[in-house]
Formats: sequence, structure tokens, C-alpha cells
Amino acid sequence: MTTTEYGIVYAVHIITVQFGSVVSKVCEFLLRRGPLSSREISRLVEPDMSYNQVKDILCLLIQHNCVQAFSIEPPDGSESKATVQYIVLCNNILHRVRYNKFSRIVNEELDFKCGAVLDGLLSNGRLTLGQLIERDKDSGKPTGSEEIRESLQKLVADRFVERIPSPEPVLGNKEQELAKKKGSKAAKILKEPETLEERVLEAATPVDAIRFPHIFEQDSNSPLADNDSNIPEGKRKQRDVDSSDHNNEVIWRPNFEEFIRRLRHKACVEIVKERRDEGCAIVLKAMLEVGRSHEKKVKTDKSVPMSLSSIYEEVMKTEAGRTLVLERVEACLDQLSATSSYLPAFVIEMDDSYVVDFKSILSVAQKDEIEAVVMRRYGKEAFRMFRYLSQEGRFVETNKIADAALTEKKDTPQILLKMWKDGYLHMQKLVVTGSYVPFLLWKVNKLIVTKQMLDEMYHASLNLSLRLAHELELEKEVILLSSRERDKKIKAKGLLLSSTRFKLDDAIMIFHDF
Amino acid sequence: MDKRKRPDPKSLGGDINEQHEKKVLDMIRKNQGMGATTSELKSDKTIPPTLITRLVNSLKKKDLIREVPNMNNKGYKHFIAMEFQTSKELTGGDWYTDGSLDLSKIEDLKTKCVMILERQRHRHRVVTLDVICGYFDKQENLSVDQTKEILKNLILDNEIMEVKSNGLNEFAATRIGELCYKLAGKNSGNGEARAGTSFASMPCGACPSIGLCSPDGVISPGTCVYFQKWLDF
Repeated sequence: MTTTEYGIVYAVHIITVQFGSVVSKVCEFLLRRGPLSSREISRLVEPDMSYNQVKDILCLLIQHNCVQAFSIEPPDGSESKATVQYIVLCNNILHRVRYNKFSRIVNEELDFKCGAVLDGLLSNGRLTLGQLIERDKDSGKPTGSEEIRESLQKLVADRFVERIPSPEPVLGNKEQELAKKKGSKAAKILKEPETLEERVLEAATPVDAIRFPHIFEQDSNSPLADNDSNIPEGKRKQRDVDSSDHNNEVIWRPNFEEFIRRLRHKACVEIVKERRDEGCAIVLKAMLEVGRSHEKKVKTDKSVPMSLSSIYEEVMKTEAGRTLVLERVEACLDQLSATSSYLPAFVIEMDDSYVVDFKSILSVAQKDEIEAVVMRRYGKEAFRMFRYLSQEGRFVETNKIADAALTEKKDTPQILLKMWKDGYLHMQKLVVTGSYVPFLLWKVNKLIVTKQMLDEMYHASLNLSLRLAHELELEKEVILLSSRERDKKIKAKGLLLSSTRFKLDDAIMIFHDF
Repeated sequence: MDKRKRPDPKSLGGDINEQHEKKVLDMIRKNQGMGATTSELKSDKTIPPTLITRLVNSLKKKDLIREVPNMNNKGYKHFIAMEFQTSKELTGGDWYTDGSLDLSKIEDLKTKCVMILERQRHRHRVVTLDVICGYFDKQENLSVDQTKEILKNLILDNEIMEVKSNGLNEFAATRIGELCYKLAGKNSGNGEARAGTSFASMPCGACPSIGLCSPDGVISPGTCVYFQKWLDF
């Protein structure tokens, strides 16, 4: 999904709060205009910033994984050189407000020492092992270089940390690639066109063996060293600059993909626990563990097929799962595979295998979120109409909606128009010969509603952040005069605003990242 | 000299008018519950169109016809003979009385339905469609279709859910495949913001002016009255 208007405004706000308005200005140009070269950015920002300042800002944003440099191969026969451009990674900017969620995952799955190493990478963007050790030495309670190394190894083994991507990958010229493909057959097997951001990230990301090395040596003879034998041929020409520092140490950064995957799985288990029961949630959690390593991308619609025995084996590994007998696990799978008028199937059973349907599970949470907003904002009658139209999945005329929702025919058009004005309904006019007044037809278009909701949630997150800043400003003004009671009140307000923003971010991930 | 009384102009054509009136009444009666509109009456070439309004008013005064608005086509009025019940097509449906939706009746029926399901929930049982239809037929004189409409409305309210019996546990007293109903449960929240719905439970989620709100605008998070109320604890 392309970034919405308030997605951009929110991302710029995050950068402003963390790095200042000068940096966010550069970021905003990249967000609104797409990839630009440093010269182009410099022309846009002058005379407020010099060219060197722009370069420094771009380095800072790259350091914090918010921007990726790349270039496009000039056409065959052309004498022009490839210009380095910079593309903003909006998702990584939005991840910046989730760092404490990422830390919590590592603290729970591994240990607090690994959590401390991760925190170092999150706050600095990317570091070498040497820099992590230095950072540990400078801290109040150093744990020692061996502990740091072991922690980093665990983080890499679990894919929470990765080697940084190629600094300036070169993309092949897309027109030339397409021209090379001959005939309609070739055109048919071409996959869905990727966005430029997807192409850049794919080109920059090294193969898994390089990205998550098993062997953890740091000298130049090691398998990790940046010599050509480690790099597949297809990617060699993309490596203009080493993804390591001048001491040939590997540079590490948090692997946001893995954190989002874990949060996605966690959210799915919670959704199933709420809608079904604890037993089904335990079984689903086991299925997600079995299938995780096979997931090729985060937003995968379905898991790989898995057998009952592999699911049961995984269930037995957990403390909660040990109380479940095989028959109970089978019963849970039947429940998860059942479709009813109020819940879709969460698991698909086929040929003695079971597949997790992520899309189906997440759609339930999205539907609940949307309907709750419709109820609160437009009222109970609108809620009935919206649910009726969602179920119908097609255009329906005004009076038919009034009949189905048992609402006054004279009031129904106003209610529908309110929802339409705010982008929650799609409307069409139908002119019929002989009728002076056209019929109005209404429909819920899920894609449009989802995008509208997401934009509003970004807007709301921004509002929570701005209101918190506003309350803190007020706190400074009254602090000299305040009583203990007033202090408590102000702190409670701050807690409510922060915790609401924290929970709202979970909803944003359901609509955008999962 | 006595002034000669002028003859009453109406009495001269009285017989003709009575005939026209009878014709109009026949046309209206012919269509029973649907009656006839002014334009339909005017389509009869034997009656002067200019007389139609007078004839209709006369019939109304004599309490032989009544005027009913068409709920589906506003601006059209139908004249219906008093002997006939107004057709559902004109009233808008079973739940309309005198052109208005009988909301209190509908809410009352819905409440009763929920109470039936509430009683069975304590016994960990569902209620079949047959049982609900039987109850409303006896107590409220509702048809099966009317009962189904009430149930559909409660489903849209997210207060109840429709399930198919599998013969086990809460479905033990029902046939496999039979349509049953039960309360949606607290987790569904009856459409209210449930535990997992975070956006609806904060001011911006319910705000009708979110489209007008901006960081530095007249309506902004700093000046927002909804935020003020929400934080005023």
C-alpha cells in the first residue's frame, strides 16, 4: 500500500522529534517526491542548507536505516554514468516508535543481555561488534566483550539482527529487461510488477548465508570477509562499497522484518484466543512455530502445509500444550477450520495437512476495528447499515438498505451520506428512464475503507504525540505552583496518552504491516 | 317585489357530479390496497381533469376514501377506499404504521428475543429458529418472516449470532444442521469498542471533525475539546 497523506506527515513528525526539523525537511522531500539524488535535494533545500549538510543528513538517515542509496544501470551503449539516488524507507521510520516492542520480544525470547545489545543497535542504527563492545565498556555496568559477542551471535542466529544491506546496489535498467523478454508467453509469466522500493531492497539484501552468518569470525580470512568468493555472481556487481567498515568488521543492524513477523504471529494468536479459546490459541501458536522458518516474506497470506504429527510435536514442547492430548489438538484444528456466518475459517484443511490462513485471521481484527469506529462515530443505525453492506459485498439501493436495517426511510439517506463523505462508503447514482430522481446505490469497498482507516490512525497517532507534547509544556508552566495531586494528574494524563499511542500502533500494524 | 332566487349552479349538474364521483370511487376501489393517484384518476378521459380534486375532496369528506403517502415514492399520494387495508408497498413494510416506522415496537420485540436467549445462555443452550418463531407467533402474532427480520436485525446489531447445530454440547438438544441462535457474547461488544479495538476508544476514533483537524489548524490536538474531556479525570 502506498503511504497515505497522514502517513507522510506522521513519519516527518517522528524524524523531527528524534533528529530535528533540518533532517526532517530532507526526509519530507524524499517522501513527497520519491527518490532523488543529493544534488537534486540540495537544489530543493538551498539556501537553507549547503550541499555538504545534505550529504551529512543523508548519511545520518542511512545510518539509522531510514534511507537507502541505489543507482540504475544506464541503457546499453549510453556513455552516461549511473547517478546515485536516495529512496526513503517509510516503514523503517514508522518502526522507530516500536523499538520498545522489539526489545520486549528479545527480552522474552532470549535474555536481557541480548536485549541490551539490541538496544544499542536500535538507538545507533548500525554498529560493528567492536563498537558494541566499546559501548558496553562505556556503560555503567559492563558485561564484557565475550558476553557481547555471544549475545550478538544469539541475535543473529534467531535473525533479530542482520548484516547491513549493500550500501549502493545497482538496479538493472527495467526497460531493457522487458525488451529482452520475447513473445506473449514470456509476458504472461512475468510476476506482478514490483515497486521501485521493493526492487531496491531486493537488490540490496544479501543472500541469507551472508545476511545471517552461522560462523562468527571477524578476520579477513573468515567466511564473512567481503571478498568475492562469498558473494553470488549476480550480486557482485552491486557491491560498489563494502558493507563493512574500514577495519573489515561486519556492520550489524536490527532486522525489522523478523520483529514484524514475530509481532504478526503474536497478534494472530491473540485474535484466535479471543474469538475461539485458549486451546485453539495454543495449537495455532505451535503451527506458527512450525511454519516460521519457511515464510519467504512477512506478509505471507498462507503458511506452508503441515501434518498433524508435526503440529502435535510442537504443541508438546510448550508448558501449556503438555496438558493437551492428541484428540483435543484434532478438535481444536476442526474448530479452527470451521466456517460460520460470524467467523471465517482460520485454518485450511487439505489432504491430511493444515495451512494457517493469515489473511483470514487478520481480516477479522480489521473488520472489528472498522465496525467499532463506525458505531462510535455514526451511531447504531449506521453500524447496522455498514454491516449489512459489508455482508452483501455489492451495490444496494437506499430503500433496500433501510428495509434490511429497519431504519426510517426518510433518515437513511443522511446517515449513508455522512459515511460516504468520510470515505467509508462508495456511492453510485443510477438514472432510470421514467424516474425523475436517480437512485442512489451504496457499497462498502474494503480497500478504500482500509486505506481511509489507516490514514486516520496515522493522524490519531500524530495527534496523541502532539497532545502529549502540549501537556508536557503545560506541566512545565505549572510545576512551580502545583500540588502533589496536580502532579499525579499530569503524570496520569501522560501515561494515558502514551499507552493509547502504544495500543493504536498495534492497530496500525494490523492494517499496514501484517 | 320579491327577488327571484337564483338557481343553485351545483344542483344543475348534481346528477352528473354524482356519476363522476361514483366513477372515481370505483376506480379507487378497483385497486384495493394500492388505491389510485391523482394522475391515474386523471387518465380517465370521461371525467374532466379539472373536477378530479373536487371529487376526491368530496369523497374524503364523506369518509369513503383516505389519503396515504407512498413511502417509496415521496410526493405521490394514493387514495384508498376505507374498506381496504393499505398495501405494504405503500406503507413501506410490516413495521410501518401511518407512514412511520414503529421503532418502539421493533425495539420491544428485539429486547424480548434477547431475553429468551439470555435465559438459555445460563443453561448453556442455544435456541432454535422454530422455538423463537413459535414464541412470537403465540405472544405477538408475528409471522415467520417477521420473526426472521427481527433476528436478522439483531445479527446486524452484533447482539446475537446465527449458528448451525453440530449436535454436541450446547447443541445437544437440537438436530444436526438446524439453525440456532445465541448471544454474541461480551467479546463482540455489541459493536462497542471491544478490548482489542484501540482506535474507536480514543477521541479521534469517534470524532466527526477528524477531516478538519490539523496540527496547526483551528481544530488541532492542542485545542481539541474532545481531548480535553477525555483527559479531564
